Amino acid sequence: MSGAADREAVFPTRQSLGLMKAKLKGAETGHSLLKRKSEALTKRFREITRRIDEAKRKMGRVMQIASLSLAEVTYAVGGNIGYQIQESAKSARFRIRAKQENVSGVLLPTFESYQTEGNNDFAMTGLGKGGQQVQRCRETYARAVEALVELASLQTAFVILDEVIKVVNRRVNAIEHVIIPRTENTIKYINSELDELDREEFYRLKKVANKKQRDTAAGDAEMKKKKEEQDKVDASGQENKEQEETGPTDILADAAAEDEDVIF
Amino acid sequence: MASQADYKDRQFIAVIGDEDSVTGLLLAGIGHVTPAPDSQKNFLVVDAKTDNAAIEAAFERFTTERKDIGIVLINQHIADRIRYRVDTYTAAFPTILEIPSKDHPYDPEKDSVLRRVRRLFGE
Amino acid sequence: MEGLFFNVNNGYIEGIVRGYRNGLLTSANYTNMTQCESIDDLKLQLGPAYGDFLASLPPNPSTSSLAAKTTDKLVSEFRYVRANAVGSLAKFMDYLTYGYMIDNVALLITGTLHERDTRELLERCHPLGWFETMPVLCVATNIEELYNSVLIETPLAPYFKGSLSHQDLDELNIEIVRNTLYKNYLEDFYHFVNADPDMAGTPTAEVMSEILEFEADRRAINITLNSFGTELSKADRKKLYPNFGLLYPEGTLMLSRADDFEGVRLAVEGVQDYKTFCEAAGLGGGPGGPGNMAGGTGSDGRSLEDMFYQKEMEISKMAFTRQFTYGIVYAWVKLREQEIRNITWIAECIAQNQKERINNYISVF
Repeated sequence: MSGAADREAVFPTRQSLGLMKAKLKGAETGHSLLKRKSEALTKRFREITRRIDEAKRKMGRVMQIASLSLAEVTYAVGGNIGYQIQESAKSARFRIRAKQENVSGVLLPTFESYQTEGNNDFAMTGLGKGGQQVQRCRETYARAVEALVELASLQTAFVILDEVIKVVNRRVNAIEHVIIPRTENTIKYINSELDELDREEFYRLKKVANKKQRDTAAGDAEMKKKKEEQDKVDASGQENKEQEETGPTDILADAAAEDEDVIF
Repeated sequence: MASQADYKDRQFIAVIGDEDSVTGLLLAGIGHVTPAPDSQKNFLVVDAKTDNAAIEAAFERFTTERKDIGIVLINQHIADRIRYRVDTYTAAFPTILEIPSKDHPYDPEKDSVLRRVRRLFGE
Repeated sequence: MEGLFFNVNNGYIEGIVRGYRNGLLTSANYTNMTQCESIDDLKLQLGPAYGDFLASLPPNPSTSSLAAKTTDKLVSEFRYVRANAVGSLAKFMDYLTYGYMIDNVALLITGTLHERDTRELLERCHPLGWFETMPVLCVATNIEELYNSVLIETPLAPYFKGSLSHQDLDELNIEIVRNTLYKNYLEDFYHFVNADPDMAGTPTAEVMSEILEFEADRRAINITLNSFGTELSKADRKKLYPNFGLLYPEGTLMLSRADDFEGVRLAVEGVQDYKTFCEAAGLGGGPGGPGNMAGGTGSDGRSLEDMFYQKEMEISKMAFTRQFTYGIVYAWVKLREQEIRNITWIAECIAQNQKERINNYISVF
């Protein structure tokens, strides 16, 4: 037996056999559950990776449109507004909020974007020239950032799921390849030990029975001898005959009882 | 997984990018400067003169030090300059997102997440 | 009469500028440019016009460096003309640069307000608006010092004086400061071309009045449109309108009371050109309001600002039909600026692969 050494350190008793059997059952249920979880997660994971792939490509396009609208601003304002924008940024109008979504017991965070009201750092930008383009550019970029936030959610989900799936798969494999075989080995071991004990017990009982038989036989012989001696001494024919008949029947009954005890 | 606890406070988007990208994103309204005296910005403009150490420092600040940033946007060509940092960054929060810039179109081959996607699908 | 002595001082300049004007790109050039597949192709197309200036660019340069190099050409030509200009033309050209100077000073004010090292800002300044004492402004560390040095060191002092105090710089939005300055500048420029003995009553005054009046109206309309939905009050808004122009005074008064695009349309109804612009921009402008047409994705309509640019270019083009006028220098600079914007736009469209809107450039030749 290859896994003879790989078993749990238990005393081979009936109680631990029961425990092991329950454990094996638990491990099997757990295994199938985890397997299903891993499958569900992997399904989700594949879906997310596909969407990331798409979204990343789409992002290229969205950002191009956004850059073009910035170019439009530069065109209309007739200069670079970058520095002014950087300096007038004070408080974020566009913020994100993280939510959690439950996928097969895994909490996946998703980002949600929202815009705070009445908080406009750039309302005056391009007042004399290009203000309309600036506002439009803001809208275009806000849309682009929304797309980016969505992509970021996907990516976070991707990273977390990746991690979780690895853990789950590790557990599935551990149960499948380590815990279940080990428990099975333990059960086998306990069974074989118990059988061994049984065989010893049987042999022992047999020995006991043999000895008893021998003892009874010896006792009988002695009784017989004593009776014969008494017969000789008493020499009374009637009483002796009755005693001789009861003697052998008793012995038979004893032997039968003993046999019954041996076979169980 | 341990970082899940602190996601609630993360409400800003940080950006490391060239001037045009930053300007555009600031126009969208993501810019935030914390109140004085430390007045920390959540954006960094990178030009040809910015050295990699400064980019790395900003990356470090946005990803590890600040707890109020949920997403870090970084121009792909700038991510290339600190590629090893980006590639070794695996935490879920904040999320690193590589974005294209005006002068550098998007290359999916370089994206550290997309590369992982590809590896997983065995492509 | 004015032609009698014009060429004594300014004939050479006029010749040069007319030559420059002929060097501007024509619609045939633009058509070729829109066919380009890459920035390198575009660079090749620009070769004849910009050869020397583009030579140092790396292959497939960024659009911003392309714009910077094309601007360099304008600047070097302008400086050459300026160096050869004498008398009132020299003064006229100085006036031309004040507009850019306002932008530069506004930039420095922004920097100082946020306690940045303003020296770094110098290279961001528009080269045409460069003045010798500009680095001096960087010494200022607070807004009061800056205000004083602006008053002492720059030609913009009169625009600050009387309308802005140093507290204003601190409290007002930089855009309001900028537009106040610009208003003062336009009024001063207008006064200059109509009052200077060398120019009053000459074609220069006529041409420049038309251009400046248009510019004033354009700013008034733009400021009105852009101020909707901001904290800029109507009274403050009124202060930003230049006190001349075709719309002045009735139109500007109505503009100052306008609450929406409709109000603006009513205000400008007295001027045929603006009326048509507004109608064109208003049609199908939809709930997004005016000027939203060129934006979004793939819309081919023109915004109000596009039409203003178009009009400006036409006025500038017409300036060249007149002789003996300084106006052509102004017109040439504006035309060349538009050309740079066109090139940048086309380059941008090529770089971003958005060919459907590449034809939004404005060409008048």
